[in-house]
Amino acid sequence: MSLVADTSVPASPSTWAGQLAESLRGVFLHRRWITFLVIGVVWQVTAMIANIGLFPTPATVIAVSWQYVITGLFFSELGISMIRIILGFSAALLLGTIVGILMGSWRFWDEFFQDFVILGLSMPALIYALLCVMVFGLGLTAPVMAIILGAYPFVAVNIREGVKSIDKELLDMSHVYAVDRWRLVRQLILPSLLPFILAAIRVGFTVAWKISVLTEVFGGDSGIGYQIRVDFASFKMRGVLAWGILFGMVMLTIEYGLLLPAERHFARWRAKVKEVI
Amino acid sequence: MEGTAISIRNLVKSYGDPGRELLVLDRISFDVAISSLVTIVGPSGSGKSTLLNVLAGLEAFKSGSVEIYSNNSSSKLGYVFQSPRLLPWLNIEDNLMFVRPEHVDKALHKERTQRYLKMVGLKNVGHKYPHQLSGGMQQRVGIARGLCVEPTVLLMDEPFSHLDEITAEQMRAELLRIWQETKRTIIFITHDMQEAVQLGDRLIMLDYHGHIFEDIKIDLPRPRDFTERAFVDFYADVVRRFHQMQARRTEEIGESEIGVTN
Repeated sequence: MSLVADTSVPASPSTWAGQLAESLRGVFLHRRWITFLVIGVVWQVTAMIANIGLFPTPATVIAVSWQYVITGLFFSELGISMIRIILGFSAALLLGTIVGILMGSWRFWDEFFQDFVILGLSMPALIYALLCVMVFGLGLTAPVMAIILGAYPFVAVNIREGVKSIDKELLDMSHVYAVDRWRLVRQLILPSLLPFILAAIRVGFTVAWKISVLTEVFGGDSGIGYQIRVDFASFKMRGVLAWGILFGMVMLTIEYGLLLPAERHFARWRAKVKEVI
Repeated sequence: MEGTAISIRNLVKSYGDPGRELLVLDRISFDVAISSLVTIVGPSGSGKSTLLNVLAGLEAFKSGSVEIYSNNSSSKLGYVFQSPRLLPWLNIEDNLMFVRPEHVDKALHKERTQRYLKMVGLKNVGHKYPHQLSGGMQQRVGIARGLCVEPTVLLMDEPFSHLDEITAEQMRAELLRIWQETKRTIIFITHDMQEAVQLGDRLIMLDYHGHIFEDIKIDLPRPRDFTERAFVDFYADVVRRFHQMQARRTEEIGESEIGVTN
C-alpha cells in the first residue's frame, strides 16, 4: 500500500489569503507579460511611424487612463456601473440558478426552457440594451433588466449541467444511509455544483459587464459606457482606448483577485489529488 | 421473529409496462438468521443486484414484503457497493461522519468510525482524501462505513470484484475476521462461486428468471482451505448444480425457438 502519497509534501495554501497571494504572484511573475510588452512596443513603434495624429501611442493612452484615475472620474463611474452590474447580476444569478435547477432536475422544465435559453444565449446583447432603454428609459431599471435578460441564460446552462453531473451513485449511497436532507445539500449537492456555479459566475459576470456598458452607451447619463460615448462623440480615440484598458484592468483584477482564488480555495481537495499523481 | 434479522416473503419485481413486463425477481422468499453470512450467486442478469437494491429501498417492488428486524438503537442497513462511492471532496473521517444516523450523537459516531477504521486495518488515514488511497484501501473505507452505522443487516454487492485477486483474497480473509468479531448479519452478492463457498455459511443460487434455484447450507469448518478435500467436493457440487441450472436454461431457449418456428 505504498501507493499513498507522502502528505508531508508542502501543500498549497489552505487559507483564502494564501490563495489570493498565490494568485497575485502568478499574475505578476508570469511570462505572459512578455506578450503584453511586445504588443505595447509594436503599437508604440507603429503609431510613431504612422504619425497621423489620429492613432494614439500606448504612452498617450496610458497617460489618459492615469488622468481618469487620479481625477477620480474612473472610480466614480466605475462605482455607478458596478452598482448596476451587481444588482443585475445578482438577480440573473438567482433566476439562472432556479431555471438551471429546474432544467437539470425535470425533463418537463428542461424542454420548457430549452428554446428560451438557446435564444437567450444567441441573442445579441445590443437588442436587450436597446429594448430596455426604450421600455424603461434612463435610470437604474434599464441596465439592470438588460443584464438580467442577457446574463441569466449563461448561468442557467451551467447550473443545468451541474445538476445533471451530480453522481447518482453517491445519491443512492446517501439514500441507503438515510442521510438527512440538509447534510445532503451541504456536503454532496453543493460541492458537486460548485465548479459549475463558479463557471456560471465567471461567464455571467463578463456578459453582465458588456451589457451594462452597452446600455450606458445608448441610454445612460453616467457610468463607464456613458463616458465612452462622451469620448466617442468628440472623436477622442485615446479616451475610448483608455476606457478599454481600464475596463480590462478591472476584469483582470476580478479574475485574479476574486474568482481564481475562490476556485482554488474550493478545490483544495483536488490539489491534494495532484500531489499523488 | 426471534433470531431473524431480515425476512423476505414472495418478493416480485418486474420492469416495463404492465402486460409486457420483464420479471426480474420471481416470488423470492427467505429468512436470514442474525449473525449469519449469506452469499447469493447467480448468472449475470439473474437479478442479484436488483434484489439488493430492493432490500436497500433503492428500487420499488411489485408485491411481497421485506421486513428488517432492527431495534431502535441500530440502523437498519449498511451497504458496501461494488465501487467505494466515497465523496471525493471529503476526507476519510468526514466521509464516515456523512452517514451518521440521526439517533446517534456526533461523539459516539466518531468513536465508532475510528474503531471500525482500525478494524479494517486503516488507522492514520482519517485526514486523507479518497484519491490518496489505493483501490483496496478505498474499499476498506467502504466497509468501515457500512459497519460504523452498526446495521442490522450489512448488504455487500460484489465488493471485491474490482480488486486484483491478491488484494481480494486478503480482503476476504479480513471480512471473515470482522464478521466473526462483530457478529453482523451479512448478505453478500457475488458471481464468483468459489468466493461464495469460501465466505458464506449459506448459499442462495438464483436462476435466470430471478427465482431461487438452490438454497444450500455450507457447514464446512473455518478457516476454509481450497486444497482440502471437503472444500473441493463441496465446491464441485455447487458448480454441478449451477451447470444443471444452465442446462435447463438452454433447454428452455431451445423449446421457445421451436415454438416460434411452429
